[in-house]
Amino acid sequence: MTKERGYRFSRALLGALVGGIIIAIPWISSKYFMMMSIRLMYFGMLTMSLTYLAGELGAVSLMQAAFFGISGYSVALLQSRYGLPFPIPPLAGLVIAVLAAGLFGLLVVRVRGIYFLMLTLVLGQLVWALANQWSSITRGDTGIMNIYAPTVFGISTETSKTAFYFFQLIFFCGAASFVAALKRSPFGLMLRGVRDSESRMAMLGFRVHLLRYAAFVFASLVAALGGVFFTYFTGLINPHSVSLTANVEALLAAILGGINSLLGAIVGTAILKTLDVVLSGITERYMLIMGVLFMLVIMFARQGIVGTLMKYWNNRLFTSGNRDPERRPAGFSKKPDVVGNP
Amino acid sequence: MSVLILMSLLNGLTLGALLFITASGLTLSFSLMRVVNLTYGAFYMAGGFIGLSVLKFSGSWLLAVFAGGAVMSALAFIEERFLLRWARGNDLIETLISLSVAIIVGDLVLVIWGGHPRTLSIPEALNGAVSIPLLNTIYPVYRIFTVVLALGIIGALWLFLEKTRLGVTIRAGVDNFEMVSALGINVRRLFSFVFTLSGFLAGVSGVVGGTFLMLVVGEDWRILTLTLIVIIIGGMGSLGGTIVGSLITGLIHSFSTAFIPEFSLFVLFLPVAIILSIRPRGLFGRQR
Repeated sequence: MTKERGYRFSRALLGALVGGIIIAIPWISSKYFMMMSIRLMYFGMLTMSLTYLAGELGAVSLMQAAFFGISGYSVALLQSRYGLPFPIPPLAGLVIAVLAAGLFGLLVVRVRGIYFLMLTLVLGQLVWALANQWSSITRGDTGIMNIYAPTVFGISTETSKTAFYFFQLIFFCGAASFVAALKRSPFGLMLRGVRDSESRMAMLGFRVHLLRYAAFVFASLVAALGGVFFTYFTGLINPHSVSLTANVEALLAAILGGINSLLGAIVGTAILKTLDVVLSGITERYMLIMGVLFMLVIMFARQGIVGTLMKYWNNRLFTSGNRDPERRPAGFSKKPDVVGNP
Repeated sequence: MSVLILMSLLNGLTLGALLFITASGLTLSFSLMRVVNLTYGAFYMAGGFIGLSVLKFSGSWLLAVFAGGAVMSALAFIEERFLLRWARGNDLIETLISLSVAIIVGDLVLVIWGGHPRTLSIPEALNGAVSIPLLNTIYPVYRIFTVVLALGIIGALWLFLEKTRLGVTIRAGVDNFEMVSALGINVRRLFSFVFTLSGFLAGVSGVVGGTFLMLVVGEDWRILTLTLIVIIIGGMGSLGGTIVGSLITGLIHSFSTAFIPEFSLFVLFLPVAIILSIRPRGLFGRQR
């Protein structure tokens, strides 16, 4: 009992420390680091969306960037083309992205495993094609530029990056808590049941399709939120945001970090975006290096960095939600015994 | 019939023929190994570029086709033997490995051949246009040749799968893989063979396609998308389904390019959605 209390105390202390550092970033770090943190947060939401589906549904999606882009494009269009005032474009953007997820979700819940991967790849590519070809609306390859971040409570988040940082931080923490709460909720438990044995859950009378569908829509909402901030921060959106490269990068970040924890999504995104900055300075072969890295991680460190660390260190301070020791380390495969050690 | 409709129809048929050549290899390896080879688009593109270089060097288009096919089958063999076998039994991991190979090959192609759009020049014998008497129009010979080639490949694949011992083994493996391995057939070798064959078809289709479509970076994913759509529509592991899927995809893409260019690819969402709603396994897919 005392051990449990000490555990809780150290957990709370660590949480407060990390929280304090995160809040202090605009003052204690360089401006560059703060910008990187902002990027990390919006890409982190995209990665979170993917890890949620991979970890809790056991389905690897290659179209989460599509929802990231759909909300981004909606914000850009509603603001620059129709000149709507602030709260409307992001809200409408999220609604449109959720509607799109509702439409695509009808199809993707019908398939599983590699079929899911294949179908999401195709649908993601079709969204990319739409962004590229529908040039009267999306302006094709160039994309939409000059999108300004809104003024919130009288402070312009366009001119003050610190304001933008906090504006986004609130929503980022909201999204992270949302996902963590989803994992802990009865819904999350039912979903895990579906992941582990769909037929059993169906037999027990759960509406399996509806659960999978809801999970897909929730995950897409998180990705869409990232897209809103991406568009506001960079001030532009183009088909690259919904390309296969963007999807693969999100997947790589998810796998790098480990798909079973929220922290994994953040760590993976941080590593990938740092690599991006470092590599783009010295080489043009970014994709090649990403491909090799992807292959190595898939082959040798399937549980990701956080997953691998947790396995050896067995420090469960960071796991969000589930602390069940029986929990399978990798939600990636339905047949862990077969994968085992090749 | 207006000229535009007629041309779209013919273009759709020839694109469908090309898609069939491409998709046949993918569906073959998919149905046996349960791995979506996402490297396939990259094989198509790399095969096309190798054909381009061989054509420039030797001047023989036929040699270019075989070179593209041969190099890609070697690459497919290496991928299967040294990478996919590593994760055998976990089809999701195998598929993700093939995705990583696709990224690597795609970038290597960019390094070697650069980012400018290229096309292979049409061989002398197939150059020019011929008038089609019944339809009262003229049409490029090369595109008609593509249809003939696709028909030839359909015939060859059918003969191979139905009449040869190896083909029978493959079909048995598609239906019941465990039973085949229990009968003492070397399944590892069978997998290698089928994967190599599918790489060959990808390379060949790259050269054939690169002669009437453009070869450019990004084409790998476009072709992969179209090929996967063919498979989703037609259903897995069925030669007939692949034929029908290729025709549907080719025709829709061709008509939408002519009439609604802004949605030429996105429109393919419709058949995918409709087929998946009615028959989740595709038109000719079998329930496992």
